[in-house]
Amino acid sequence: MTVKNVHVDVLVVGGGIAGMQSALDLADQGYRVALVEKEPSIGGKMIMLSKVFPTLDCCSCITTPKMSAVAHHDNIELLTYCDVQAIGDRPGGGFVIDVVQKPRYVDIDTCTGCRQCEYVCPIDLPSQFDRELGAVRAIRVPFSTAVPQKAFLDIDNCILCGKCQQACPVEAIDFAQQPETFTVEAGAIILATGFELTPAGAKAEYGAGELLNVVDALVMERLLAPTGPYGHVLRPSDGKEPDSIAYVQCAGSRDKTLGVEYCSRVCCMYAIKQAMLLSGALPLADITIYYMDIRTFGKGHEQFYQNAKAMGIEFVKGKVARITEDEDKNPVVRVELIEDGSKVVERAHDLVVLSVGMLPGYNPKSLYGVPVADDGFAAIPAPNIRPSVTPKPGIFVTGAAAGPMDIVDSIVLAGAAAAEAAAYLEEVRTPSPQRAAIEEAVHA
Amino acid sequence: MTLTREEAKQRTAILKQVRDQHQETVDRTRARLKDQQTVRRQICQQLRGGPKIVPEIAEATGLPAHEVLWHITAMKKYDLVVEVGQCGEYYQYAMAKETES
Ligand SMILES: Cc1cc2nc3c(=O)[nH]c(=O)nc-3n(C[C@H](O)[C@H](O)[C@H](O)COP(=O)(O)OP(=O)(O)OC[C@H]3O[C@@H](n4cnc5c(N)ncnc54)[C@H](O)[C@@H]3O)c2cc1C
Ligand code: SF4
Repeated sequence: MTVKNVHVDVLVVGGGIAGMQSALDLADQGYRVALVEKEPSIGGKMIMLSKVFPTLDCCSCITTPKMSAVAHHDNIELLTYCDVQAIGDRPGGGFVIDVVQKPRYVDIDTCTGCRQCEYVCPIDLPSQFDRELGAVRAIRVPFSTAVPQKAFLDIDNCILCGKCQQACPVEAIDFAQQPETFTVEAGAIILATGFELTPAGAKAEYGAGELLNVVDALVMERLLAPTGPYGHVLRPSDGKEPDSIAYVQCAGSRDKTLGVEYCSRVCCMYAIKQAMLLSGALPLADITIYYMDIRTFGKGHEQFYQNAKAMGIEFVKGKVARITEDEDKNPVVRVELIEDGSKVVERAHDLVVLSVGMLPGYNPKSLYGVPVADDGFAAIPAPNIRPSVTPKPGIFVTGAAAGPMDIVDSIVLAGAAAAEAAAYLEEVRTPSPQRAAIEEAVHA
Repeated sequence: MTLTREEAKQRTAILKQVRDQHQETVDRTRARLKDQQTVRRQICQQLRGGPKIVPEIAEATGLPAHEVLWHITAMKKYDLVVEVGQCGEYYQYAMAKETES
């Protein structure tokens, strides 16, 4: 493995859609960028999705080209499976960042991504990419559209039998690999560390993650994706094709008991999207969406909602109080209807999807010195005029690291963060009184 | 690629050394693999008798249906099992070799 010390204009942290877009926006304008991603592949959550609202574009068809553009750009140094360990100020401006390359146990320059190692590996493990419904091997190329298309070994779930080493045609597997630390020098940093989902066990009323046929919406994305674990929409308890599917909206957002008072902004739209895709995949299935109110504020979103209603998707205004299961593992939804005189009804479905919320995934305070706001996402002192500027000079934020947002908004904010970072670099080189005044206003 | 004797020896030595360093996870994973093999043997035995749906395999083996589905999904991904059609609300699976012949 050859890791060198890297000198760039901007370090982008996180290789989801937001980080990739900021990196590309800067690199296309001639800035040198390093993109550090903690996972073995870039792509973030977006590469897990089936199709995107409101256009219903195939998600991997629009994400994969961005991923390879990042990997092949002359101005981008892609650092996957790396963790930022420490950050210091560089004398004269900018940052010195210590990064550790975690061992892949595979030489990334030699590996051709042929997956022969994966096929001989005897260990099947739950696939995080398929939300544990599918399997991966201990040594694997992370997923079919991973970038880089290179294997890595999950040594904590390996018996070290050495079969992969015998199978690899190019001698890429190296059990002696060790973590390696190197430094990145950068003039500015963009945080694009994304979000996490409401944990499965969050709500006892909804089964606390124990009911097999109550899944979260990212599971449904995988079930709907052509590369998904089953190749069909089946329910996890027994592989039955569901005939009745229900969505529970705001499952983890706008919920004081969970300390999440905000609206996650994407759940109404992704539920409508999935409902539409389901009525295509399972034309005979009944699809119900239990909601408190539907929020469709984006371009083309309201039309999307109206189309879903016209397709026969049932929207039921009500508050889901509890989900239990019957003896056939069918989830039973107890709902207090809002429009029907507060009547409480119980309805059984084959599969229930929780429209889980977007939670902060990473706290940048201790390492980057960027505080978080009350909602747990990065603090943004002037959201109206500079939505990608954090309180820490030289560090910017984009995508869901700044708060719940969809792909369109992530891309817009990524461009904004790139422009702010570029302006900051210029400012350090040739200070101007006008910008100094703006800075002062923001950081006051 | 063929290794020289010296290279092969060195490889074995490194593997042993790494195994010693990871004794705990290796032992845990070995136990996991044993369980996996026991379950797979039961599932394969059922499939050798002809294509089956998940609840049939679960009932015949006494394994929980969701576990059977997970293993079938894993075996399908790595070409050991194939889907051969639909039977009501369930898909049917068969051993990959049987369907080839
Ligand atoms: C079920 C579901 C369906 C959705 N459907 C749609 C849709 O149809 N249309 C739409 O517009 N939006 C949709 N969204 C929203 C969409 O997923 C987000 O807008 C988008 O993924 C945000 O991208 P991001 O890059 O900010 O974050 P992420 O995708 O979370 O990427 C963050 C990246 O940073 C990495 N990372 C995190 N911390 C660190 C660290 N400390 N160091 C290094 N790397 C780090 C992560 O590994 C990850 O690769 C959906 C969301 C969900 C949950
Ligand atoms: S067998 Fe070797 S070249 Fe092929 S994916 Fe595995 S490590 Fe890479």
